[in-house]
Amino acid sequence: MAGEKEIWQKIGEGFVQEYYNQFDNTNRMGLGNLYSADACLTWEGSPFQGKEAITGKLVNLPFKRIKHIITKQDFQPTIDSCILIMVFGQLQVDDDRPMAFHQVFMLKSQNCAWACTNDVFRLGVHNIAV
Amino acid sequence: MGDQTPLWEQIGSSFVQHYYQMFDSDRSQLGSIYIDASCLTWEGQPCQGKRAIVEKLTSLPFTKIAHSITAQDHQPTPDNCILSMVVGQLKADDDHIIGFHQCFILKNINDAWVCTNDMFRLAVHNFG
Repeated sequence: MAGEKEIWQKIGEGFVQEYYNQFDNTNRMGLGNLYSADACLTWEGSPFQGKEAITGKLVNLPFKRIKHIITKQDFQPTIDSCILIMVFGQLQVDDDRPMAFHQVFMLKSQNCAWACTNDVFRLGVHNIAV
Repeated sequence: MGDQTPLWEQIGSSFVQHYYQMFDSDRSQLGSIYIDASCLTWEGQPCQGKRAIVEKLTSLPFTKIAHSITAQDHQPTPDNCILSMVVGQLKADDDHIIGFHQCFILKNINDAWVCTNDMFRLAVHNFG
């Protein structure tokens, strides 16, 4: 199985790295640029539609500092030439204790660039430290 | 209240219920929900196509399994598919209860909703 990575894996890894880097190390205002105009975000069960609403939600999350650590990430191509990404990891907000999180993204190529059309985020309530 | 539920949520939650019911009772039946173009990534291992997927799922090394869903989210995608994410717990045979998460993409082909993409991971953090 070793050898060259599939293209969807490379694109997916690039997106994941950019997303969490912006999330953790900026004021998150630029995150909107990663989404398509009509993108859907479901954040802990609450739906947000469109780049503006999504940016608004992410920028206004109530913490000063956040750090994500990715434990696992999986990538698949879809029949409609999109890329499906599933991420599992931990995050730490301000001085709170670390928590697990689960996130899924779908990327679609639009105007020669990959944009996120779907984003689903949940904190992980069941997880085991090995 | 049921009438106000978006269609993708109705289809997604119906699929999820059906999937885990089948998985927990007789996973050899799961072939009906996949097609030849389906992809499964199971704990990081890729499987392509209905046959390989069913083979993988039926050869998993447990006799009894029970899934319990904690949360599920559904969204429509630009290509008229449905994206579903599930977070829950499972218990295989007499093992400990473990968290899991799974996502599916559903597509309508010939008036039936099939699963074209499936990713599963146990919710286990590895340190170091």
